[in-house]
Amino acid sequence: MEDHEGKKILVIQTHGVETPTRTYSPLFYAVAAAAMEMEVMVWFTMNGTNQLKKGAAEQVQLDPTSDVTLKTMLQMAMDNDVKLRVCQQSLTLWNMTPADLIDGVSILGATSIIDLALEADHVMYF
Amino acid sequence: MAHEKINGCVVIKDLYYSVNDHTWIRLNDDGTVTVGMTDVAQTLAGPILHAKAKNVGAVREKGKPIAIVESGKWVGPIKSPVTGEIIEVNERVAADAQLLNRSPYRDGWVLKMKPSNLGADIADMVTGDAAVEAYRAKISADNLKACTHIEGTDEYE
Repeated sequence: MEDHEGKKILVIQTHGVETPTRTYSPLFYAVAAAAMEMEVMVWFTMNGTNQLKKGAAEQVQLDPTSDVTLKTMLQMAMDNDVKLRVCQQSLTLWNMTPADLIDGVSILGATSIIDLALEADHVMYF
Repeated sequence: MAHEKINGCVVIKDLYYSVNDHTWIRLNDDGTVTVGMTDVAQTLAGPILHAKAKNVGAVREKGKPIAIVESGKWVGPIKSPVTGEIIEVNERVAADAQLLNRSPYRDGWVLKMKPSNLGADIADMVTGDAAVEAYRAKISADNLKACTHIEGTDEYE
């Protein structure tokens, strides 16, 4: 395994609970990168924001025979020190306030995401 | 191998365990250690699809990743139970990752290391009956399900 320790990966997730098959993989990749000792951030914007509403991710389950839900994936990301950030402006798309967000998610504005994209070694967009 | 089963999970008594990280080491006669993941770890991961170890020559601190394991539902690091240099990687596991499921204590070892601070590192680990009791407590505290085994898994009576 090549040594990529310390590299910065930014994952941008624009898909949400209405498209379950597009929700797990970005988080899986984020956790893989974190396990490889990279600094990883997932930025949720557009439809991606709605999976961060309290109680929403628990309802998304790709495999009904498995006990793994989208909430499991989000928790796995946080457990592996993946930073979860949400777009301030996109909250209003879903009538969400900061109080609606699951614990562990921070809010950033558009200026911040541009800075983060420029600072990252690689950006993955979904 | 002297062993005990707890909730279907095998614990080999002559290995040293880092129970929270679900790893084990075997002390080899030449001063090196063989590192692997436990029966509980392979159960938690499920059937493993890929396993990639750090390269030979890499020096890792205790607690740092020495390999990444992926299954259909889980991805995560195997954390080094000791500080030292990786001196050999099990190429059979690289070619057939489910060896980690089928033979976590025999053919599915992950890598070998030359430890640099074994005395201190091993003080944090458990072996023998203490390992069995530590795993019994861990399984209970984490409410872990019974260990599951895929076809072809090593058998322990």
